[in-house]
Amino acid sequence: DDEVHVRQKVVEVDPQEEAEFDRELRALMQESLDSRKLEVRARPTLNMMIPMNVFEGSTKDHHGRGVEGESGDETLDEETGRNKEVRVKVLVKRGNKQQTKQMYIPRDCSLVQSTKQKEAAELEE
Amino acid sequence: EETGEDENYEYGKGDFTEHACRYCGVQNPACVARCNVPSCRKWFCNSRGNTSGSHIVNHLVRAKHKEVCLHKDSPLGETILECYNCGCRNVFLLGFISAKAESVVVLLCREPCLSVNALKDMNWDLSQWCPLIDDRCFLQWLVKVRVFFSSGLLCFFSPPGDMLETFLNWLISCILQIPSEQEQLRARQISAQQINKVEELWKTNPDASLEDLEKPGVDDEPQPVVLKYEDAYQYQNVFAPLITLEADYDKMMKESQSKDNLTIRWDIGLNKKRIAYFVFPKEDNELRLVPGDELRLRYSGDAAHPAWQSVGHVIKLTAQEEVALELRASQGVPVDVNHGYSVDFVWKSTSFDRMQGAMKTFAVDETSVSGYIYHHLLGHEVEVQVVRNTLPRRFGAPGLPELNASQVFAVKSVLQKAVSLIQGPPGTGKTVTSAAIVYHMAKQGQGQVLVCAPSNVAVDQLAEKISATGLKVVRLCAKSREAVSSPVEHLTLHYQVRHLDTSEKSELHKLQQLKDEQGELSSSDEKKYKALKRATEREISQSADVICCTCVGAGDPRLLNFRFRQVLIDESTQATEPECLIPLVLGVKQVILVGDHCQLGPVIMCKKAARAGLAQSLFERLVLLGVKPFRLQVQYRMHPSLSEFPSNSFYEGTLQNGVTINERQSSGIDFPWPVPNRPMLFYVQMGQEEISASGTSYLNRTEAANVEKIVTTFLRSGVVPSQIGVITPYEGQRAYIVNYMSRNGSLRQQLYKEIEVASVDSFQGREKDYIILSCVRSNEHQGIGFLNDPRRLNVALTRARYGIVILGNPKVLSKQPLWNGLLTHYKVVMEMQEATLIKKAARENLTPTLSRRQQKVPIISIGKQPLQILHKGGCPAPQEHECLVEGPLNNLKQSMVQFQKPKKIYN
Ligand SMILES: [Zn+2]
Ligand SMILES: [Zn+2]
Ligand SMILES: [Zn+2]
Repeated sequence: DDEVHVRQKVVEVDPQEEAEFDRELRALMQESLDSRKLEVRARPTLNMMIPMNVFEGSTKDHHGRGVEGESGDETLDEETGRNKEVRVKVLVKRGNKQQTKQMYIPRDCSLVQSTKQKEAAELEE
Repeated sequence: EETGEDENYEYGKGDFTEHACRYCGVQNPACVARCNVPSCRKWFCNSRGNTSGSHIVNHLVRAKHKEVCLHKDSPLGETILECYNCGCRNVFLLGFISAKAESVVVLLCREPCLSVNALKDMNWDLSQWCPLIDDRCFLQWLVKVRVFFSSGLLCFFSPPGDMLETFLNWLISCILQIPSEQEQLRARQISAQQINKVEELWKTNPDASLEDLEKPGVDDEPQPVVLKYEDAYQYQNVFAPLITLEADYDKMMKESQSKDNLTIRWDIGLNKKRIAYFVFPKEDNELRLVPGDELRLRYSGDAAHPAWQSVGHVIKLTAQEEVALELRASQGVPVDVNHGYSVDFVWKSTSFDRMQGAMKTFAVDETSVSGYIYHHLLGHEVEVQVVRNTLPRRFGAPGLPELNASQVFAVKSVLQKAVSLIQGPPGTGKTVTSAAIVYHMAKQGQGQVLVCAPSNVAVDQLAEKISATGLKVVRLCAKSREAVSSPVEHLTLHYQVRHLDTSEKSELHKLQQLKDEQGELSSSDEKKYKALKRATEREISQSADVICCTCVGAGDPRLLNFRFRQVLIDESTQATEPECLIPLVLGVKQVILVGDHCQLGPVIMCKKAARAGLAQSLFERLVLLGVKPFRLQVQYRMHPSLSEFPSNSFYEGTLQNGVTINERQSSGIDFPWPVPNRPMLFYVQMGQEEISASGTSYLNRTEAANVEKIVTTFLRSGVVPSQIGVITPYEGQRAYIVNYMSRNGSLRQQLYKEIEVASVDSFQGREKDYIILSCVRSNEHQGIGFLNDPRRLNVALTRARYGIVILGNPKVLSKQPLWNGLLTHYKVVMEMQEATLIKKAARENLTPTLSRRQQKVPIISIGKQPLQILHKGGCPAPQEHECLVEGPLNNLKQSMVQFQKPKKIYN
């Protein structure tokens, strides 16, 4: 019985402020990039192996949803009945230890699009 | 020693959690990230509000900080964002890549790691590097964003029946990802300008808060109150400095109140405590003591006595200005010494702390008030919320008088609304109406009802009426007032604790008795006593249907864990907004404010705070925002002749009389009213005003002398002292009249001592059979000061039941339009039938044509303007009923004094 109707104000972002902010943000990115180019001369050594335990499903789920599912679990969009999100494992380092965390990424994220498209195609067959 | 105060109690529930966004206050762990620069470490959210970048990105850009850490309760846990390969932490360089085959992703820096070709050979897909910061915002699936509504209508509701489960599931999934909708709506609306300012401030003071931006300098005028507030933070930003100003002023005033060379009369109270009686001479305009005030009594010592001091509470004030002070400690009191004492005021910040606390709770704790009330109070556009309650068949309540039509309408309407205002003009029965509302709310089974008012007197009156309906009422008094006698003592919590007679309580009673007899307990007994008392207090309070206390009292720690969905505040137009907020932030979903914005508002001592608008009540602001109060329309106090002018001038002529002329006929009283059946008299006075001894107030000797003559005439004619009230706007005149009557009264002195002489302001909410009003102001050019406020005139004119005598100088008063209207009313009183016609015409916006017989051409001003009647050609109309008189009381003559033209139209 707690029904609230609030008319929100139309919030306008000052275009001048927006332009100025954009300029500063780009400057910061460029500066970061330039400083790295100067600073890091030697090519870094690669340390990008995906550890085996990632595939064993023993990861800790911080999202409060089921931990049992297969990798690439999907949630259903209530409205359309279509898959809205996909589950991914994020690989991070704690000191020298590798850890994975589960996360849900929107289906339309460029990051997952290519792999998911393949899987979806397989499922339909 | 139990001080009876809540000194160690921190006001304001809920706190800014450490991880709340430093810009907007959003504190959902999934939505915030910490700036990882060691000197900064502030948290920000990933939503934009009304700025172009998200708050965290805004901060990083403005402060040129580049490292970020996620919250421990976020999906990724406490994680510093860094390149998986090289450990680079510059978020402006980071992005995600995924493995070619598996659903595995890592953060990788753009330079140099992304450009290492060898990675392609290691199953990583480098074509889809996805930057961490996109569109001036962190990736939204990594740091969640509160949904941003650019415009339109937001709606939250619980749908009925089988939809509910689906809805709840959906809601839960939303809550897991984004801040609750309450939180989104209540977040602070910060502008880009504010962000730039606070970032600038952080460079020199990293701990500064947004509030520091608003803090006025010592000499600055404070920010004035406004009609609408963006959010509760802005609300707090405006009101908190005003409360501080008022508190500082109050402290300064009170602490300068020391008095020396007092003579003490010692006594012992029923509770065996020492009581010191002494006269506390008050000069005019200074604050008055009220029961519950804390004073420190000092004796500097002599050959036979060491120096001594003790703190106590004022428990009583007699009409003769004698103070009864109950001392806290009975030991070592020099009771054999009577002279040479000093007394200081002990100032307490309690009430101000509670106001500040309530504002903080309002801003930070989203359960403090319902969403609807939150937006309503801030002046946001909310659609009227209907409370779905089954209405009772009868709207009256047992033990109360039958309700009239406007009262029934008010009760019925407010029961169905979440926020409502009831305007109760003088004598219209607002206490009965309030009690009936509380009765029906309590019967709805929504938990305990909280009933408040700013003054103790009003709370007592309401408690009594509500208790008469049969509801279980607990009246919670401040601990400092427990020794102050109350007309509803049996309802007070402290009385019930002492007298609740059950076997379980016997232990408490035993300890209480011991404490009373010995003055103190052993420390273990004291501990036991306190615990038992607290438990008993809690038990009694919890079993009540209704809790009654002052607005400030609602912040009492004894109510800390209580929640009240339904709150009624009486006399709410006499409370400041922050004061009104104290009872509301205990979980209110339905609030009823009762009051009358056409009578006097809260008293603000600090001029700066008053100028900034602290004197405007919440009730008034809601009226200005368009909330229409339900007005009670039948008055049961005044003789119909007395209600006429106030009704026309302050209530658009809507006041009806619930009493007849016959019911207000003072039979057997022989007083020289100029017109029979019209017990009203304006006694023309030409004596000059003077500045009082203190230099800050006024008195008028001629008026005082004539007040005594009128009082004597009343007394001679058979009126008893308790029926008479003398009121005046000026403290100087009040003191002078008391003095004058006791010296010069021609009857027994005691009779004059029993007559109440008070300021107009302190008489609000009260009534007497006969009122004598001394206007005081009489000068050529200084104006009329206090009398200018129409609300004060309204209060002054509406205290009398049977008759009123006004003493004043028409030449001076008539310059002010409203007073001009009043004088005209006394000079030319129309016959009732004509008055009704004019009122009707005024209501219908017509120009009335009047009685051909008298050929008067009245000019009626419509709306708030006073009723003015002029004869054709602008001369005063023929004087038929003349109540404006002069001369000796035994030979009153119609006064021919000429009025001045009113200077400007009062608005
Ligand atoms: Zn920072
Ligand atoms: Zn924020
Ligand atoms: Zn790297």
